[in-house]
Amino acid sequence: MSLKKKKSPLEAMAFSDGQIPYEAGRKKASSPPRKAPARDFLLDVHTEPLPARFVAPVLEQLRTGAAKWLEGKAPHGEISVSGTLRHLIVTVKSVSPKGHDKSEKFKGPKEQAWKLPDGKFTPAAEGFARKYGLCAADLKPEDGILYAEVHSKGEASSALLQAMILDLLKSLQFPKSMTWEPSGFKFGRPIRALTCLLGDKVVAVELAGVKSGRAVYGHPVLAKAPTVLKDPSKHSAVLRQGLVIIDPAERREYLLKALELTTKKTGGRTEDDAELIDETVFMVEHPVPILSKLREEHMKLPAALLKLVMKKQLKFFPVMARDGSLLPYFVGVRDGLSCGNALVREGYQRVLEARFNDAAFFLGRDAASTLESKLPLLERVMYQKALGSISQKAARVESLVSWMGSHLRHTAPIDERAASSAARLVYADLVTDVVREFPELQGQMGGVYARNDGLDERVALAIEQFYFPVAAKTPIPATPEAAVVSLAGKLDSLSGCFAAGLIPTGSSDPYALRRQALGVVRILLEKQLPLDLEQALEEAVKLQPVVVPGPGKLSAQLADFVWGRAQSLFEEMGYASDEVRSIREGALKDLPNAFRRLAAVRAVRREPAFESLAASFKRAANILRQAKSENSEPPDRALLQDEADFDLYDALVGAEGAANDRIVRGDFEGGLKSLVAVKPFLDLFFEKVMVMVEDESLKRQRLALLGKLARAFKRVADLSEIQS
Amino acid sequence: MKSFQEIILELQSFWSREGCAVVQPYDLEKGAGTFNPATFFGALTAVPARFAYVEPSRRPADGRYGDNPNRLGKYYQFQVILKPVPSGITDLYQKSLKAIGLDPKQHDLRWIEDDWESPTLGASGVGWEVWLDGMEITQFTYFQQMGSMPLLPVSVEITYGLERIAMHLQKKDSVYDLEYGGGLTYGDLHKSQEREFSRYHFETADTALLSRHFNEWEAEGGRLTALADPLPAYDCVVRISHLFNTLEARGAISVTERAQYVTRVRNLARKVMQLYIEKNAPKAVEAA
Repeated sequence: MSLKKKKSPLEAMAFSDGQIPYEAGRKKASSPPRKAPARDFLLDVHTEPLPARFVAPVLEQLRTGAAKWLEGKAPHGEISVSGTLRHLIVTVKSVSPKGHDKSEKFKGPKEQAWKLPDGKFTPAAEGFARKYGLCAADLKPEDGILYAEVHSKGEASSALLQAMILDLLKSLQFPKSMTWEPSGFKFGRPIRALTCLLGDKVVAVELAGVKSGRAVYGHPVLAKAPTVLKDPSKHSAVLRQGLVIIDPAERREYLLKALELTTKKTGGRTEDDAELIDETVFMVEHPVPILSKLREEHMKLPAALLKLVMKKQLKFFPVMARDGSLLPYFVGVRDGLSCGNALVREGYQRVLEARFNDAAFFLGRDAASTLESKLPLLERVMYQKALGSISQKAARVESLVSWMGSHLRHTAPIDERAASSAARLVYADLVTDVVREFPELQGQMGGVYARNDGLDERVALAIEQFYFPVAAKTPIPATPEAAVVSLAGKLDSLSGCFAAGLIPTGSSDPYALRRQALGVVRILLEKQLPLDLEQALEEAVKLQPVVVPGPGKLSAQLADFVWGRAQSLFEEMGYASDEVRSIREGALKDLPNAFRRLAAVRAVRREPAFESLAASFKRAANILRQAKSENSEPPDRALLQDEADFDLYDALVGAEGAANDRIVRGDFEGGLKSLVAVKPFLDLFFEKVMVMVEDESLKRQRLALLGKLARAFKRVADLSEIQS
Repeated sequence: MKSFQEIILELQSFWSREGCAVVQPYDLEKGAGTFNPATFFGALTAVPARFAYVEPSRRPADGRYGDNPNRLGKYYQFQVILKPVPSGITDLYQKSLKAIGLDPKQHDLRWIEDDWESPTLGASGVGWEVWLDGMEITQFTYFQQMGSMPLLPVSVEITYGLERIAMHLQKKDSVYDLEYGGGLTYGDLHKSQEREFSRYHFETADTALLSRHFNEWEAEGGRLTALADPLPAYDCVVRISHLFNTLEARGAISVTERAQYVTRVRNLARKVMQLYIEKNAPKAVEAA
């Protein structure tokens, strides 16, 4: 390994003069710059260790920032970025030695105001011209206005790049930045060195007390002296020798391969945890996985707890068998080389065992008393100032579960006793030592303790899955009882927070209400629960300990909030936003049904007649709106007058009957298709008769006819929302 | 293999060679080395500071009656404070590890984001926990604020967890088995302390007395700031901070009271800081 060679840095950089014409470049420096070749640019910001989560977003800012900065300023080739926790690197291929020539035109006022009748210019005109280094006679008239035209030669690229480096580095946004030296410059972590080269020349900048140069720093522990870089071409190779793989994609691939090799003999593989992999890619510069063993006695601890300690506390990878069960191994990824691996492995094992011993100690203490016996402690745990203790919250959730149980009794009956026992105990694990230590395990530990207490499996599962889904794509509660208890918890949080004025804003949602609302929508849809969400929200609002001035208004606001989540979920599934809007009415009264209506709209929309039907329907809806007709009385055929009236009436009655047969069977697509049959009659109706006629009685009947039509369609969708 | 006391001696001579004054622990109970005036006042003004010291740190709530091999109600921190921050400070830190027998090349050394905050001091900083083979052995912080005011020049604070480092070096699973020096183990010196102080902090401390003392020292601190002597006033801050920690471990403070106590400590700390700055910082008006 070149690191170990005792070479001076200057010797170490004796590269073969390959791709970049180093000598040629030098000679040409004295000849006119126009002929100088394009050269590659390198910026390597060497920092103290950046937090892993900072790096990828900042690299992206560098990429877009550099492209934006250079646009129109200097011809250049490909821009690429790479980096590690200690290097932020931008390269720009083939930067032209000179920036673009510039022509700018500045507008002066009108010619008459500037030119005297004798053809001479006013002093003001002379002044304007002077501002741009011109005489008034140089000003160019165009449509009666004088312009100053300024041409400037392109600046040297090195000067442009100097400015770019400073602008870029000053503009970077870190999640959190700091100061460390007297200038007070802010950055994610202290800058240790700036390697800035354009071809073989250093681009001289100074920032935060650091002067740019050509030295490159490898791994802080393993690389010896910094390497002096002649030009950008060898940069990544030099760092690679210094045990730094600068390209994140390459580092990831290297890591994944190394993980696979390391775990081969266990018969399993490391858990495919995207978050941990991403973090590791930016936590080490040269990943070296070390396989270690878990002690048999620790394998008795709950798998979720073991995994959490390994991943969250120590960034270790659990090793899983093919069936997803945990094997008695783990992998720690060290940074650098494998010298001293035995020592490192021993260290990893010791630290993990200490954490497991802690966890086992807490678990033992928690399991010594039942969940039931922990309930009184919840009185002392505050949920939210206005909303009382967790104990009070639990009581509300229990009432809501019992309301939902009876509400669903005829449509989707659940084991109400199991659901209500689970609701009682669902927060008890919050006062256990394990959950205090690992809040992420709330629910899961409750399930463990419930089984330990010998409770019914339906109860234990509902407790375990109470907080499901924990993320947008993770599973929802598995059983109907678990689903109902989980819904009750979420509906209580939503209505409580809204009642207490803790309504999420664009950027701030501290109680994760959006996630909870999405959870509600997903549970109802995936579990096919015909729960009337509007009623459930009203019920939940009633249970809050806050005096709400307008409970009806608040419930409506809540319904809109939940609908917002449903809307974005549907749109994510590929439904157009107008289709989603068309089923809004009544959607929350039965969300699974609403989804079927949505699918019907989507399917029928493909029919050729649909678009024009939607247009006619919109016309009908407009007439109804303008007439402010909210009259839902049925039309009386006998009071209608023209043939077009009768035809539409008859077609509608027929179509409605056919549609109804299908809709009651849940076939919304068929229902909607039946209704589409009225289209020619509706068109004829609009063609032949006027709705807003003088004859009050006839007008009333025609409005009633259109009202009937609108109501018929709205059982599936409000087609007036559909955009053509 | 280095004994506990030899690790301390090595660190002291390392940082002494690096130009630090090796000062002594401050003689009041406190939760962390940051409370030593060398750091608390050292970080406040533009006057350069280079100090290193051992600080006994008391965390009443962390006591485990001597039963837990990894948790202590009282332990030792080795603390370094440097201002201005020398460039290459992270390399210098790595060299200090080598001095105590931890060759970074033979270990996995990681810098994990970890920002520091002390609500009672209105202080915060940015930095890392340093992990050695997965074990957190050091807290490394660039102070950014104190008394809720931005600090410039910035100081760097390096806090070595001596027991953890020693456990790693000596390959011990229990802190009480550490070889301390002089033929004694850490347990010989500390186990009964842990047992009795855990009892005191969790069971027997007289909370009425403690809260009375809190009130009295708080009042005394206020009186002293009015007399423009920040140093004795600061002792009152250290005292009430520890009294608060003890009351909290004893379970004598409710959630709402807690916030009030923290605010009271912070308010006094802020007054002391402002006073100290007025007295010790170069006066802009006079200079002009």
